[in-house]
Amino acid sequence: MEAHLASGTGVEQLLDPDDPVWARAGEDPLQLIGTPAGLQPTAAIRNTWAGKKIGAVERVQVRAVHNGEILAFRLEWDDATQNDSLTDTTAFIDAAAIALPASPDAVAATMGAPGAAVNTWYWRADEKDGGRHLLAEGLGTTRTLDSGAVRSSGVWKDGRWRVVIARALQVKTSEPVAQLEPDQVTGYAVAVWDGAQQERAGIKGFSGEWRELRLAFEPMARK
Amino acid sequence: MTAGKRQLSMVLDLNKCIGCQTCTISCKRLWTRGDGMDYMWWNTVNTKPGRGTPRDWEQMGGGFRDGVAQPGRLPTGRDFGEAWEFNHNEVFHGGKGDKVHLEIKGEKPDWGPNWDEDQGAGDYPNAYYFYLPRICNHCTHPACLDACPRKAIMKREEDGIVLIDEDRCRGYRFCMEACPYKKIYFNHVANVAQKCIFCFPRIEQGVANACARQCPGRVRFVGYRDDEEAPIWKLVDKWKVAIPLHPEYGTDPNVFYVPPIAPPRIDANGNLDESKPRIPNEYLVSLFGPSVLDALKILEAEMSKTRGGEKSELMDLLIAYKWKEMFGGFDRDPATIEWTKG
Ligand code: SF4
Ligand code: SF4
Repeated sequence: MEAHLASGTGVEQLLDPDDPVWARAGEDPLQLIGTPAGLQPTAAIRNTWAGKKIGAVERVQVRAVHNGEILAFRLEWDDATQNDSLTDTTAFIDAAAIALPASPDAVAATMGAPGAAVNTWYWRADEKDGGRHLLAEGLGTTRTLDSGAVRSSGVWKDGRWRVVIARALQVKTSEPVAQLEPDQVTGYAVAVWDGAQQERAGIKGFSGEWRELRLAFEPMARK
Repeated sequence: MTAGKRQLSMVLDLNKCIGCQTCTISCKRLWTRGDGMDYMWWNTVNTKPGRGTPRDWEQMGGGFRDGVAQPGRLPTGRDFGEAWEFNHNEVFHGGKGDKVHLEIKGEKPDWGPNWDEDQGAGDYPNAYYFYLPRICNHCTHPACLDACPRKAIMKREEDGIVLIDEDRCRGYRFCMEACPYKKIYFNHVANVAQKCIFCFPRIEQGVANACARQCPGRVRFVGYRDDEEAPIWKLVDKWKVAIPLHPEYGTDPNVFYVPPIAPPRIDANGNLDESKPRIPNEYLVSLFGPSVLDALKILEAEMSKTRGGEKSELMDLLIAYKWKEMFGGFDRDPATIEWTKG
């Protein structure tokens, strides 16, 4: 997939899933697969989820746009119920994330490994406008980095989520996060959690190994 | 898991619990008055036989069988019993106190934290029930700790208290599914799991848990499991009359119970019928496992000794003549300490 270059497009425009700029980007229709119960990090989770359906959301349409400074992904998927508040002890929130390799040998399925981190941009339906900038070096090691680096927006309408998750290509940090630039080819992966099915943590639909992402550039603009 | 250095424990004598809920309220006042904690009762006292809190918690799975983690499920807010709001204003300040009654606002509930109080089981004149106070068992093999993918739950080396690190917790609630005693609560405001902390800030100052110190029934003994001078060790290890609830759940609890002995049955002619106990043995075995029968035998033998005028160390311990001696050294008066909010 190519991240379409839309120079001069503001971040607020990018965060609007209905902005016309999205129509100009190509679409990657992704198949999601539930992370198997056997790969869950603790025996209680493995045994509670063995034989249960994991990965309620099986299909997600992805587009990407950048403006030379900010990269935004738009994710769309069908979800009959909007789970955006913690209404009960049994309630969980719809969520989605974009994962990027923070080093060339990072493995997506294991959420990285020590020294080969996976950088995640996370959206949760009850955190309006917010977004989480996360880093993982293996399953269960996810930690939250600087707040404010990731921005997001989500609209649920007629049984469908349309979510935008965005971050600056380059961020100032000593953490091993993905640093991006136009013309770069990197990988990306997608995870979606369906709150109605009590999906959270490793209980999710996942796109599998890295998909190719190429950030478009204007050759003329190059020095 | 390697065993820690020491383990704090509690023994509760079910023969003395009067179901007054002083323990419940002292815990509530101290620990669960914050946002998102309205429905939490880290200490509960329910009537047994009964469905308990949360409703039917004994059927919710979790824990271990033969060391294997068992699937568990989450209780709903309704299972716990929601924190009802009452029309206090209308009754007390609206000038209508003679016409309106105190009632719950909104939908009428069909369950609450102590809904089936004093119902029990059996038929007159041989009906029976007893009170079962419960806190987190600060288990030696905590299912909650094992279940957490974030390693947000720890068991303290120095005293075995099981605590949740709210900074690491992400509100996933796998612990809540895994705890077979359903003693973990979810704070939907803070998005974290919370539970009984064994009053560790008091313990660290030499003060016994609020539920134990406030108990008017002298039901609760507190102390280190291995302190051979103190009541816990004597009741659990020496006399073997204090046993854990549902040992088959495999978590190795550190809260122990002296099982209840009810008054004798009455037969059709109105005479005492001592051929079988009022509380069926099978029922007690279903709660405490087969060792409850041995515990009952020991208790009965010691009771008959004192009836015959003999002395019994066990009966003296259970009567708890000296209140402070129930607390295994944690007998400092909290009023002598200047508490600051951290
Ligand atoms: S009672 Fe439940 S919450 Fe408490 S330590 Fe045991 S497993 Fe954990
Ligand atoms: S305060 Fe003591 S007597 Fe009252 S309910 Fe609690 S344990 Fe029972």
